[in-house]
Amino acid sequence: MSAVDALDERGRRALETLCLRLADDEFVLAERYTEWQVRAPSLESDLALSNIAQDELGHARLWYDVLAELGHDERELVYERAPDEWRHSTLAELPFAEGDWADAIVRSYLYDVAEEIRLSALEDSSYPTIADRVGKIQGEEGYHLEHAQNWMERLARDEGHERLQEAVDRLFPHALTLFEPCAPPRGAEDASGDEPRAAAVEDDIVELGLRDSTLAEMGEQWLSTVVPYLESLELTVPASGDDEEGYAVTDEMLPDQRGRDGNHTDAWFELHEEFTHTYRDLGREQATRIMDPPE
Amino acid sequence: MTRIWEVFRQAEKGEYHTHCGNVHAPDREMAKQFAAIQHGRRKPTNSIWVVPKDEVGEIDTDDVAFGGTTDKGYRWTTAYNLQTRQAEEVEESDAEQQDAEKRRRTA
Repeated sequence: MSAVDALDERGRRALETLCLRLADDEFVLAERYTEWQVRAPSLESDLALSNIAQDELGHARLWYDVLAELGHDERELVYERAPDEWRHSTLAELPFAEGDWADAIVRSYLYDVAEEIRLSALEDSSYPTIADRVGKIQGEEGYHLEHAQNWMERLARDEGHERLQEAVDRLFPHALTLFEPCAPPRGAEDASGDEPRAAAVEDDIVELGLRDSTLAEMGEQWLSTVVPYLESLELTVPASGDDEEGYAVTDEMLPDQRGRDGNHTDAWFELHEEFTHTYRDLGREQATRIMDPPE
Repeated sequence: MTRIWEVFRQAEKGEYHTHCGNVHAPDREMAKQFAAIQHGRRKPTNSIWVVPKDEVGEIDTDDVAFGGTTDKGYRWTTAYNLQTRQAEEVEESDAEQQDAEKRRRTA
């Protein structure tokens, strides 16, 4: 019996919810990154961010492809899904202030630290396809973080510092939604944005061993990495706590729209409209594929 | 201050680093990262060097008369008609000289 057939209804729902949040984060962030193509400060930085976007799209595909084992297909997930059925963190969807490279860099830093933490929590996943794919993704992630930090350290030195601070102020609350529980996909009788259901599914994800850390644990770990690093660059971080007291993500630190529950900022609905436009306009019934599905 | 860094790529251990292009970068660390992204991701790569362009010393034909333009073929085994098979390195050397000869003719 294959791993997917061994799952009961509860297991399927947990797997589906976990993979959606992983895939949607990667897809939407990559979609935003590509806006920098031909607009980055130099050819080199353009290519570097394009490469990162391409990696993240590839990772999104790896996770959407796990959902294929549950009977979904990429076309339906990417082009046919209503925008409020997407489960990414609002960090991924926010538009860039025009020409604000510091925003792209801070966003990438905050996201890539979180990604590193969540990937290591998936290394020993009880679901074999997840565990298999983590290594492949980790191999590509190292340089994303290095790239972000290289830029952060250079921007922090002079006039870039103010831009970094503005980006941190704007993005930090949204980055915290990376660690919010995710409402399961809307079923026939269920409404989206149901908090108790989100918490229950999140508990299942950990209990069933799909991921071996809770969101709260990963959030603390993220804060204890990100806060001291930002402070070392003399940036002020809108978060309480310190190394001794410990860090925690609290409710008042979070923005109104958290993404994970299907509530998104207006910018998301515009972005969704934009990337599904051609598909709808041409009355497509298939998505273009230029590569075979991942192994 | 952005500088130009010349990039040299080595495909496999033990091979020469060969020039493959350049990158604009503010310093050595960024130059290494940009070079890795642009030159190390699509082809098998063992090592990359980055060198500031203004640290490269150059002399060209305006400065000096380089050699290699007169026929010194008599120094090479290609000048003799050998019927037997030669050692590998001799054959390689022959091939190089034949190539050099061809270039001299077409130059």
